[in-house]
Amino acid sequence: MATSESKFDLRSTYRKNLENHEISPPLAAILALSELVVNSGAGTMFELVKELHGGAEVLKKSTTNPISLNAGCELFIAFVTLFPHESDSFAELKSELMKQGQKYAREAISYRDKIAELMLGFIKDDSVILTHSYSRVVMKALLHAHKTKRISVYVTEARPRGLGIKTYESLTAAGIPCTVVLDSAVAYVMDKVDFVLVGSEAVVESGGLINAVGSSQIAIIAKAGNKPFYALAESYKFHRLFPLSQYDLPTHNPSILSFRSPQAPAARSAPSGVSPDNQTPTISISSSVTPTAQSSRTMSADQIACNPDVDYTRPELISLVFSDVGTLTPEAISQYLVAMFAG
Amino acid sequence: MAPAPTLPVQPPNGPTLPVAESSVPPQQRSQKQMTKAERRELQERQRAAKADAKANGANGQAKQPPKSVPPPLAATSRKPGRPAEPTPKPPATPGLKGQSHTRGAPSIAETGPPNARGLRIFSHFGLPKPVSVAKGDIHPIILRLALQFSNFKITGANARCIATLTAFKTVIQEYVTPPNNTLSRHLMTHLNPQISHLVAARPMSVTMGNAIRQLKLEISRMDIDLPEQDAKDVLCQKIDNYIRDRIIIADQVIEETAANKIKDGDVILTFARSSVVQKVLLGAMEEGRQFSVVVVDSRPMLEGKRLLSVLASAGIQCTYILLPALGSVISEVSLVLVGAHSIHANGAVYSRAGTALVAMMAKQHSVPVVVCCETYKYSDTVQLDSFTKNELAPATDNFSSFPLGKSRDALLTQNQINLEILNPLYDLTPPSSITAVVTEVGVIPPNSISSIPIALGRLL
Repeated sequence: MATSESKFDLRSTYRKNLENHEISPPLAAILALSELVVNSGAGTMFELVKELHGGAEVLKKSTTNPISLNAGCELFIAFVTLFPHESDSFAELKSELMKQGQKYAREAISYRDKIAELMLGFIKDDSVILTHSYSRVVMKALLHAHKTKRISVYVTEARPRGLGIKTYESLTAAGIPCTVVLDSAVAYVMDKVDFVLVGSEAVVESGGLINAVGSSQIAIIAKAGNKPFYALAESYKFHRLFPLSQYDLPTHNPSILSFRSPQAPAARSAPSGVSPDNQTPTISISSSVTPTAQSSRTMSADQIACNPDVDYTRPELISLVFSDVGTLTPEAISQYLVAMFAG
Repeated sequence: MAPAPTLPVQPPNGPTLPVAESSVPPQQRSQKQMTKAERRELQERQRAAKADAKANGANGQAKQPPKSVPPPLAATSRKPGRPAEPTPKPPATPGLKGQSHTRGAPSIAETGPPNARGLRIFSHFGLPKPVSVAKGDIHPIILRLALQFSNFKITGANARCIATLTAFKTVIQEYVTPPNNTLSRHLMTHLNPQISHLVAARPMSVTMGNAIRQLKLEISRMDIDLPEQDAKDVLCQKIDNYIRDRIIIADQVIEETAANKIKDGDVILTFARSSVVQKVLLGAMEEGRQFSVVVVDSRPMLEGKRLLSVLASAGIQCTYILLPALGSVISEVSLVLVGAHSIHANGAVYSRAGTALVAMMAKQHSVPVVVCCETYKYSDTVQLDSFTKNELAPATDNFSSFPLGKSRDALLTQNQINLEILNPLYDLTPPSSITAVVTEVGVIPPNSISSIPIALGRLL
């Protein structure tokens, strides 16, 4: 059937788009959906929108963290619905829509440069910046600032995925002094920091931020330490979601933070080399400690599965959101979203 | 020349002759020369004199505020109050006041020292007065409605607005344009006394205000050439559309949106009785969500009882507490849902008195507070406190629900000359205590409430 073929196209098209490193999930979704438009058998606008909704559902199911993808889908569907149908034939309209979708994706790649330029004014010479995990837009901003100013960067490890190390490697390769800090050492380091800079998965209607887990923590500490907390987000990441709390996120499910029945120690996949007998009461850092008798433990995959991937940062904790549509306060996000989507 | 002895009109300027001065002391001095305190005393005395005259006069004239002191005493800090009005407001200074408590009773003249003030800081809260003789040609349906308002038989912003608009439909249908007049111009003047009558019964709600403003706009836009019956039908149709679009359908959208925020196992807390919240909870119940409700109520209105009976008969597990018990329950609550009388441009929510306490307590315990509010309740004004604009609850028998260990007479306040009862009906919840406002144009954070007109401008 034509629809199942195009569905098949959809997922693989989406994944193919993601292979391009510059393209983030929402853009990949927009590109995939615009190809779906051309490949669809719909004859009227109503059918087309229905198919797009179906396609978006398929894409959402294919990933565990659909929030940013959703933002892109909603944006494209809203665009399609509001597009003036002046063309004579429906086929023309569809190809026009696809062209627009692709044009948007091309332009959107340049958004990161716009944001980096906006951010530049807020970075003083000799700034010490704290960032979290790995974000392409934050990388662009930091590399752009490095060209004209001196900056040094602390980056959190961002367990369990450890993407902070990736940031560290890219920054040191570019010549920016960088140090990885433990997630638990953020409060320790906060007084040395001038401001905090994070990327985003999505910016929501309340003006809050959805980002890799740990961002909310850093924001709270920044607030307590009176340091500004800046978020960088392209406009296609703005989402009409309104989480009332951490547990109101669509990514939250009952298994997260649940209490499991205690399992036998053998069942737990323990890291190799650790046995209770070898554990020394004090942690000695000297070279006499062999790697097999290490006194640190790591979480098992099961235990990591009980933990969230993303968290929600409340709008009161965010100082400014830098986006290609400008530098916005959290309150302005809602006004922008209302203006965009309420029509 | 000594001026006329009794009238406190400004005598010819300049100090009067010492002879005149000694005979009739302060009153004869120019008003400008009197100190503030003396002017106040003067006003007091005149007021007391008038009140005396009034009390001895016709009883039914209780409503007439004595227009004392014709020249405006601009220097007095006090508003020209109405001591003749039997309003149960606390005196700011402990003066002797023999005022009657029940509505409609004639005022008892102020006895005691002339500095009996009373009604100072709350004199601007209008108390619902008994509907007096209607001025002008008031339609019987409006009379009935006014009576229902003043007796609090119809309460709630939505209910009042719908009742008003429905009554106006009848008025419009029975209206006959006088000759040499057009409907679009004259209907307004016909409706104005009706509206004033309703306002006299009970101060207008923001919803009624917005609806009436919209109605007047529609009337002024009416095509002049339209035959009268057609014009009336068009207007009634527009009123129906307004009720349908801005209230009924809006409520349905809010119901769906807010019900999505209710998860299985939640404990929802609500305050008093909001028609929208009732719909949300019943709707979520029908969708099969498992949740329980805590209904918080407060005296003297005790509106929560109605909500409780509706929810319980629908099969929702409910708990009923009074407001002082809130602190003990709040840690068990997952979501607070409240309604609103109106929302303001700065994001503040004006709602039944007690809502602000519930919201602030919830915020302290990190419980999200969601306000369900239709967009037609939006008011362009900025309100910063509960004080500048409010309304007093009717002086009902406050002790009917008390266990009667004491005799009734001891509890009633008629005999307590130093005690007045103050029951404001509304209070203001600051935007910092609110997490989200659910409207039919979407879920909006409180600080962005002012973007509602932008959203509406797209739709309307």
